[in-house]
Amino acid sequence: MNRSAGENSLPTCTGTLRVPIVGSWFASPPPKVMRIVPAAERRPQVLKSLVVGRGSLVEVGPQPMAVAVPRFRVSVRSFRFTEASLPDGGIELPTPSPSLVNNRLRPTTHDPRPTKTSVTRIKSPGDVIKLEDRLDYLLQPPLESILAEGALGFPARPFAYQFEGMAFLYPRHAAILADEMGLGKTMQAITALRLLVHRGEVRCALLICPKSLVSNWEREFRHWAPELPVTVIEGDQARRAWQWRLPDVPLRIANYEILVRDREIFQSLEAPPCFDLVLLDESQRIKNRHGATSQAVRSLARRRSWALTGTPVENSTEDLVGIFEFLAPGFLSPDLKPRKLGRMVGDYVLRRTKDQVLGDLPPLLVQDETLDLTPPQRASYRLAEDEGVVHLSELGSAVSIQHVFELVIRLKQICNFDPATGESAKFERLEADLEEIAASGRKAIVFSQWVATLKRLAERLRRFGPLEYHGQIPPPQRDAVVRRFREDDSRHVILMSYGAGGVGLNLQFAHYVFLFDRWWNPAVEDQAINRAHRIGVSGPVHVTRFLTLDTIEERIDHILQEKRDLFNTIFSGTTAPKKLGLTQDDLFRLFQLPRPADKAA
Amino acid sequence: MSIPEVKKTPVFGFLTVIADPQHGLFGGYLLLNRLGRPLEFHCTAPVKPNRAQEILYGPTLDAFLYGEQIGQTLLDHATAQSQLLCTDQAAVMCVRQHVEIPVVLVLPDGEGAESGAFPENGQKTYRVDPAHAPEPHWTYFTCGPNRLAVPAEVERDRHRVTEQWSALPETFDLGEPFVRIREAIAEAQQAMP
Repeated sequence: MNRSAGENSLPTCTGTLRVPIVGSWFASPPPKVMRIVPAAERRPQVLKSLVVGRGSLVEVGPQPMAVAVPRFRVSVRSFRFTEASLPDGGIELPTPSPSLVNNRLRPTTHDPRPTKTSVTRIKSPGDVIKLEDRLDYLLQPPLESILAEGALGFPARPFAYQFEGMAFLYPRHAAILADEMGLGKTMQAITALRLLVHRGEVRCALLICPKSLVSNWEREFRHWAPELPVTVIEGDQARRAWQWRLPDVPLRIANYEILVRDREIFQSLEAPPCFDLVLLDESQRIKNRHGATSQAVRSLARRRSWALTGTPVENSTEDLVGIFEFLAPGFLSPDLKPRKLGRMVGDYVLRRTKDQVLGDLPPLLVQDETLDLTPPQRASYRLAEDEGVVHLSELGSAVSIQHVFELVIRLKQICNFDPATGESAKFERLEADLEEIAASGRKAIVFSQWVATLKRLAERLRRFGPLEYHGQIPPPQRDAVVRRFREDDSRHVILMSYGAGGVGLNLQFAHYVFLFDRWWNPAVEDQAINRAHRIGVSGPVHVTRFLTLDTIEERIDHILQEKRDLFNTIFSGTTAPKKLGLTQDDLFRLFQLPRPADKAA
Repeated sequence: MSIPEVKKTPVFGFLTVIADPQHGLFGGYLLLNRLGRPLEFHCTAPVKPNRAQEILYGPTLDAFLYGEQIGQTLLDHATAQSQLLCTDQAAVMCVRQHVEIPVVLVLPDGEGAESGAFPENGQKTYRVDPAHAPEPHWTYFTCGPNRLAVPAEVERDRHRVTEQWSALPETFDLGEPFVRIREAIAEAQQAMP
């Protein structure tokens, strides 16, 4: 509609009129839009509102009235980003194999038309302050798109929560992935690392893990990131020194012991490597911040620090403080209350449980099998306890925690087998259960904290084809043991120590787990259980925890429960427990012994 | 010897406006490369029409604010030139009058049809600037998983959109970048003094 402002016969005009700016009618900045207000609308309240709204009323004739409307002032904030240059990140990487690429993230719908894939957003970490940097994270495409654009395929499609885990790790310089065991922390970490390598943000990474898990990590890297060359630090000192000096190595794997040993090598290097990422597996290994392992790890020059653990708190809040000394030195203090600690670490720790994310995972059926000791066992137990307590009492103020520990271990061993007759209530029950398991063609894992117990079991369970996996089995042979257990139908049981078999292994083909004796803290027991109850398990996992009545085992069990409460307090915001774990006081109380005054001081 | 033609890297623009009941309208304009990576982001301070402007613009206020005042201002601030402009708000479509590139309306899942009239019964309808123009007829079409619409009067845009779409991955979700814009505006809003 084009009309000049000078026309005066427009009683019915109600629309917006765009007019050329005329002379000096308008102040600077000139208004652009005018509206002709017909006489019919020139009610006082309308005109008043126009004036209050800073519109200019201009008399243009006897009938209509022109209203000049100031132009809106729109202020704009601009952000510009560097265009990412995938995949030329600076490291020559072979193209993923066709089979992997074929399995890239494709929708699984039967609709022939392409569909929108699931979306996992990358969030900015809380410690990123600058708005530009925060927006740089927020405005990135969903993780699925980033993975797809680099043709980074997967041998199996990850779960949605695993994408979330990757999206959590990917932007963070300090992070703990603390998922419950069996949820695929390894795969999530490898993929996040893989993504950073392909983007050129990581050119030199170091993975540190327990010695027993080095071959497991190698295997997982071959599986999830076959294009990433992996160098395992091993061999004699000269060879290791050479391996540390090698340039252009995208990923090194070292075990904790080697790292401690090689501190001297690092100090002798003219230019010690600065890692773009240091990833700790089973990071509870550095919970003691005064220990040599913690100091060796913390001395590494690095840009990103990630930690993986299913048990960030094993005993006390100090464990978490110890891990954070590696992630963000000084961020946490051991004096913090559990609830405040939980709030502070919220942005750094991602913890999911199977219940939360795997509704369709077959159930974990845990049964506490409380047993009476056999009469000879009971007699031996009473004798040992009475003598032990008398001995401790006689020691008076000279009694130490070591003395108490010795008695605890002695009593726990009697709960396993009577030293005089070899009788065992636990064994009788285990044997009966294994009969059924073997008959149905299933497999079972039996955990104990003592190799001697495992060897005794192996001897007595020979007809079930037992395999042994503990500290006395050389590490190079351990993979073969697991393979035989998986592939040989005549092998129905594997006997494992908590130390050697409790972490990193995938044994989801075993549907039965027996805890022949109990470890000192529940986190280690959970790790053991989760060797079987993890992604890929095809049916319910039955866990039997043996507990002998009216013994030291029962008393320790109460303390373990309190430790679980502590964990929940930090990571679930529940009320704090009365006690924080197995303290020295607790150990003395196991035998109603007063703690010596000098030690209490 | 002829000089090979340098192919222009495709750039895609996503423009939306968020109405905040407390602060007013926030405009956001995100420019992406063909991989969906951000190149530029521009956002406005809140724009709130006063009572006089509401009266004066009447039913054309949204179109004027969304399309011309916010939309065009944001486009003017961009350094890169996009080859396709997407919006998820019909009121923004009037920015098409001011640009040469095709502007396409990205419909939410389940809305729109392959072609034909504007959605009926219970569906929200929009009036598009210029003022006093009749409500536009829409041409509906799909690109990959996306349901799109352009005003029938610029139906040629449909072919141009389809042409530009071919540079994107086949499952590219044209609605997804608007989620990013909303999150970025919320983040920027929090950072404002």
